[in-house]
Amino acid sequence: MRISQKTAFIVLALIVLGGGGFFLYLDRAFPKNRCEGAHLTVPEAYADCLSCHSKVTPKAAQDWQESKHGVLLVKCVVCHGEPDGKGSIPFAVNPEPSKICAACHDPAMKVMTEKFGAPLECNSCHPRHQNSMHSGAFQSKSQSGQSSF
Amino acid sequence: MTVSRREFLKGSAAAIALSMVSGPAFSAPAGKDEGVDKWVKGVCRYCGTGCGVLIGVKGDKAVSIKGDPNNHNAGLLCLKGSMLIPVIYAKDRITEPMIRKGGKKSPLEKVSWDEALEFAAKPFREALATTGPNSIAYYGSGQALTEESYLANKIWKAGFKTNNVDGNPRLCMASAVAGYLTTFGKDEPMGTYNDIDAANCFFIIGSNTSEAHPVLFRRIAKRKETNPQVKVIVADPRRTNTSRIADLHISFVAGTDLALLNAMAHVIIREELDNQRFYNRYVNFVTNDGKPCTFEDYKTFLADYTPEKVQETTGVPAADIVKAAKMFAESSSTLSLWCMGINQRTRGVWANNLIHNLHLLTGQIGKPGASPLSLTGQPNACGGVRDTGSLAHLLPAGRMVANEKHRNEMEDFWGVPRGSIQPKMGFHTVALFEAMAKGDVKATFIHCTNPAHTLPNLNKLTKGLETAFVAQTECFMDAETLKYADVVFPAAFWCETEGVYGCTERRYALTEQAIKPMGNSRPAVQILMDFAQKAGVDPKLYPYKTSADIWEEWRTLSKGSQYDFWGITRARLKKESGLKWPCPNEKHPGTNLRYVKGDDPLVPADHPNPISFYGRPDGKANIFLRPYAPPFEPAEPDYPFILTTGRVIDHWHTATMTGKVPELQKAFPSAFVEINPEDAKKLGISNGDSVTLETKRDKMNFPARITDTCMAGLVFCPFFDKNLLVNRLFHDATDGASREPEYKICATKVYKQA
Repeated sequence: MRISQKTAFIVLALIVLGGGGFFLYLDRAFPKNRCEGAHLTVPEAYADCLSCHSKVTPKAAQDWQESKHGVLLVKCVVCHGEPDGKGSIPFAVNPEPSKICAACHDPAMKVMTEKFGAPLECNSCHPRHQNSMHSGAFQSKSQSGQSSF
Repeated sequence: MTVSRREFLKGSAAAIALSMVSGPAFSAPAGKDEGVDKWVKGVCRYCGTGCGVLIGVKGDKAVSIKGDPNNHNAGLLCLKGSMLIPVIYAKDRITEPMIRKGGKKSPLEKVSWDEALEFAAKPFREALATTGPNSIAYYGSGQALTEESYLANKIWKAGFKTNNVDGNPRLCMASAVAGYLTTFGKDEPMGTYNDIDAANCFFIIGSNTSEAHPVLFRRIAKRKETNPQVKVIVADPRRTNTSRIADLHISFVAGTDLALLNAMAHVIIREELDNQRFYNRYVNFVTNDGKPCTFEDYKTFLADYTPEKVQETTGVPAADIVKAAKMFAESSSTLSLWCMGINQRTRGVWANNLIHNLHLLTGQIGKPGASPLSLTGQPNACGGVRDTGSLAHLLPAGRMVANEKHRNEMEDFWGVPRGSIQPKMGFHTVALFEAMAKGDVKATFIHCTNPAHTLPNLNKLTKGLETAFVAQTECFMDAETLKYADVVFPAAFWCETEGVYGCTERRYALTEQAIKPMGNSRPAVQILMDFAQKAGVDPKLYPYKTSADIWEEWRTLSKGSQYDFWGITRARLKKESGLKWPCPNEKHPGTNLRYVKGDDPLVPADHPNPISFYGRPDGKANIFLRPYAPPFEPAEPDYPFILTTGRVIDHWHTATMTGKVPELQKAFPSAFVEINPEDAKKLGISNGDSVTLETKRDKMNFPARITDTCMAGLVFCPFFDKNLLVNRLFHDATDGASREPEYKICATKVYKQA
């Protein structure tokens, strides 16, 4: 089957445009200051988790900000450590309760252990990013609705 | 942490695998304390909250930390406290004595202890012999242990016979001290943290509690969470994270809070929310120059402070002033909390008096949840420096240098001839560094603080450090002051030694020794005693074998005084997680409501009144008629912005400790300037731009952070960054009474760096 020059030109143009568009998309969607890059390449961004995670994991970021940990500025690194693993707290998506939660909640963990008879995974009953202040009094935001944290 | 990364990854993988087949992974039992031989009780090294900690020790190393469940913090720690362990093992710990053999410009060289002590003592001996005792000085710290401050105070005032004993609490708490002294007759608050759990209204002014005292902020938030009727008023020119829990945020033009506080008093009287029964019984009215006056005079004085007039001065809508005053007075218990926004001011003492006025006018004092509670910035400014009288005008347990009876009492107790202690106060901090620059003070011993970073007007005052001989105790090589030190003594750090800290709420708590001092470092009490011996001070003045002996002497001295803590023995401190004075005997549980009969053992059971402000001869506190006065350097056409400074949650003071923790350092690697979006737009400044701040002292560049935390017309820079020493921009004007500098306000130009 012969392909007309016109068809070939259109197909070629589509390939060029599509390919160009794809790379343009990659460039725009994954700039160097995104977490994936920042975790590895931008030391200043190691601990500025929220600025990236409010874009890449907006639910987790917002949940944290509205949670007790957010209001009290118990920041990401306190539980999750740093992505480069060089800090004093091991980097972990799911921090180990006996080492991380216990640093502050040891008395409560002991009570829970006594109550339920076995040591439990804290997060299964107290989702760490969703434990919001109850009264609604903690919802007030800055005038522009932004936070500097 | 004891787990290596490899072990951790292996463990995480195993946990994930387990959870996939059997549901959520079970953790090790809480509190089983895997990998720790013992837990040693102590107090956090950072702020004045004074959280109890348990330090996990394995072998001869501290390996972990958690909150002490029996202390006031109930097991909780803030992010700084929970990452304290890496600080001990920081690479740049100083572990050997060092001296500069060839003057200030020569390098620091490691030497033996004996050589360093002799090198340090010689200039002191020479100064004493040639220019007399007032040509030497001690500059201490609200981070030094109580035993260290007490000992240094004794060595200098009774041994060297000079009152040139001051310290960094002059830079943070002096206005609060003078505020309590002038209003109630004695220093230290009457309330405690227990009041947070009983307060129905919080009036937080000049404090970013959320970042500077996170564990207390959590307790306030919890109080509000469990009792939604609780109201929180936050008055601050910056809308910080603290305001997230506020029912009312008041942004006033920095430096106008005296007018705001008087306007609140005006509204309270106008709305008949004052408590006449209370002030008729417990209060004297006093004019600004100290003369007695009447309530009617006070009312007339306040006529000038209508909310409408004060709106013009402060920029706060009159309706908000009325609302705040009503919330304050109508609540069944109001707790005021303030910090450096009030204290670090040229009218800091007046501002303190005006907060006390509101409590005395409404009777919001002497009952659970109702108190004026000044927050402290350092872990031992209260217990270590204020209580032991380690400042140029004070003597231990509330005594004053200027009072002959007080001097004689101390001379007798310390076993030195009458007349040994000079009647004139020594140099306060700013005057001390000026005197060092002039050559009037020739040798200064600096202990546990970093003045080359924290003094105001640094370009001027560091000249003192360049000129005088400086002996310094320090733990970290990157402390700015080290650049000027002639001798550096490596002091044991935090849990490497034993001693007492006294926090905001009159609570004394012991940090026990958990590990050995690193390298060749020594406990500071040992360094002070060895130095005193070399400098020629009579060893009879310091016959101590351990720091517990010093505590015993200090405890004995307090007996029968209005600071009585005779009941807080070393044995009790080892057993209990802190005790609050007054505590006159070993069975006494400590005092929550000071000045209140039935709670405070110093108010006799047969006293006719339920409350006695026994610091004053007639048992009555003072309401002062303090007028509004502008700051030393308000904004002006050539310098149209106000610059203020403060903390961020991740760093503490000069970051010599927090800077060692990778998580904290990377959260805020350097200082910045906060600019309101309106101002940024006018000045064409975008986020991250390099912005110049130019004051009458100096100019510096900071990266811009555009946020509405600051109100328009105000810019903020944190002070932790040694590479951007913002204190170079500030003036060194001080409060006329407390001599505390005004770090919170100076006028500045702001422009985008060309």
